[in-house]
Amino acid sequence: MSESTTVAVEAPAAGKGGKLKAIGLALLALGAILCAVAYLDEDSRKRFGYAYMLGFVFAWSIVVGSLFFIALQHVTRSVWSVVLRRTAEMLASPLAMFLLVALFLPLLALALLNPDYTIFKWMIEGGMGNDHLQHEKAPYLNQSFFLIRTVFYFAIWMFFAWFFVRGSLKQDSGSGDVKPTLRMRAASGPFLILFGFTVTFAAFDWMMSLEPSWFSTIYGVYAFSGITLAGLAAITIAVVGLRAKGLIAPELVRPDHLYSLGGLLFAFTCFWGYISFSQFMLIWYANIPEETIYYVHRTENGWLAITWAVAILRFILPFFLLLGRGAKMDGKRLVQVSVLILVGQVVDLYWLIMPSLAPESGPMLGWQELAPLVMFSGVILLTAGLFLGRHKTVAAGDPLFEKSKAFHL
Amino acid sequence: MTDSGRQLAGIIGLYDDPDSLIAAAEKVRDAGYEKWDCHTPYPVHGLDAAMGLKPSPLAFLCLGAGGVGAGAAMLMQWWMSAVDYPVRIGGKPFFSWPAFVPIAFELFVLFASLATMGGMLVLCKLGTWASPLHDSGVMAEVTTTRHGVVLNADDPKFDEESARALLEEAGCDDIRLLYENVEEEA
Repeated sequence: MSESTTVAVEAPAAGKGGKLKAIGLALLALGAILCAVAYLDEDSRKRFGYAYMLGFVFAWSIVVGSLFFIALQHVTRSVWSVVLRRTAEMLASPLAMFLLVALFLPLLALALLNPDYTIFKWMIEGGMGNDHLQHEKAPYLNQSFFLIRTVFYFAIWMFFAWFFVRGSLKQDSGSGDVKPTLRMRAASGPFLILFGFTVTFAAFDWMMSLEPSWFSTIYGVYAFSGITLAGLAAITIAVVGLRAKGLIAPELVRPDHLYSLGGLLFAFTCFWGYISFSQFMLIWYANIPEETIYYVHRTENGWLAITWAVAILRFILPFFLLLGRGAKMDGKRLVQVSVLILVGQVVDLYWLIMPSLAPESGPMLGWQELAPLVMFSGVILLTAGLFLGRHKTVAAGDPLFEKSKAFHL
Repeated sequence: MTDSGRQLAGIIGLYDDPDSLIAAAEKVRDAGYEKWDCHTPYPVHGLDAAMGLKPSPLAFLCLGAGGVGAGAAMLMQWWMSAVDYPVRIGGKPFFSWPAFVPIAFELFVLFASLATMGGMLVLCKLGTWASPLHDSGVMAEVTTTRHGVVLNADDPKFDEESARALLEEAGCDDIRLLYENVEEEA
């Protein structure tokens, strides 16, 4: 493609992301009020803790999933993604990460101040009962080590969100400075190693420990595949959406770029299917009671329907919808599948988290479950809107920008 | 169509750069030719669209063969574990499908890749051991430095004059006629 037109990179700054900000703020406020009501109601307080974790992990998966995407592009020195990397930077903004940290505090407060209602049963005095397995895990699963780890995870993600986003924003002045790119490339490798560990152990701490006797060594990889899918799906929706609104010039992100996004979505869909089936099959085959109980809880008392919903929403539908070459280049189709994947992530998290409360009473769904989800969706939209209002919508100062614009498959 | 006893196979226009080739391919496509092809020393981006090529059937062959492979694997394991030699393992049913999935997956991949490989060779017409392109030496040129558009003589729209005119209109200054069995004549 020839350099025929100077692409209108910058839309008028006024009003950018204003609507998104308003919607985000409204959802955040509405969700927060509903959360407060759910907490104050003694009957739903216990349920509320689990629902809150679900909402938190959903937003967290989009933010760290986007952070992973950014680091992946730097470590592979990708050219294709430069035109749309700013969208991932918008989703993984330090502000979003900061809000997540702040909104994690209620969960900690619940555990420390009101242990009767905490979701971390192992954390409270006598919560382990006389379960030998849980006592064996005590050197890892205890309150102080948990707190130290949580601070460590957030510190790592916070720092790198700031580092990668700031590095990219620095180049916006248009000097074409290569230094930030080189620095980010150098840091991306070590970060990805840290990312692998922190995400794995965070998944252990926040979700696997909800059923403290149970364990699965593949759990971290399972969580990682879901996180990456959620991040990619959110990026895809945002890129196509911003392009439709004219905030990203249509000629910047062409089917060639979309194809790579679609390919990643497809690859991680397959990866998720592979990992989730591996976990299921090994536990089913070995047939050890303390392991199989996890799937017993999730196949009885009405939970089997949720299990199938997860398999269909996360693997079967996206797999066939993304299989064709044309589908990966079609923005509309990609957005549809991405929405499906995000819904799949919510259902998957529901499947992971909710049965820990009371598996025998079957799946419950009320406004109490949805309130935190509304609030955390508001966080994502609000921080995206704020970011849009302040910064350019594409990383036009990246030294590889022109090359990325001309990218062909 | 004969010319001094030789059978005309087609006409080729040779270009020095891929952009001219693409422009020519678009002209030939729009003129409604069906039996024609392009030859380039390396993959030229955008040529598929310029030629108006339909998507290759290979993808469907790949998926279909994969499905056959997975089905065959399931059938085979069902017959072995539940019919021919049933052995109770770990208290599980004879037909325990989750245990059969890895092998079904492997055969899916095996069948799909073999069918794709074989299908690719067939669709590329492997086994056509002689062609006017080779006989005339043009193939040596289009696999090193030049880009060629070949219009086959058996296309319903083909006639020598209009084909030549079309290629000239597309800016070609090296147009040659291709004959069947040139070597025998020479």
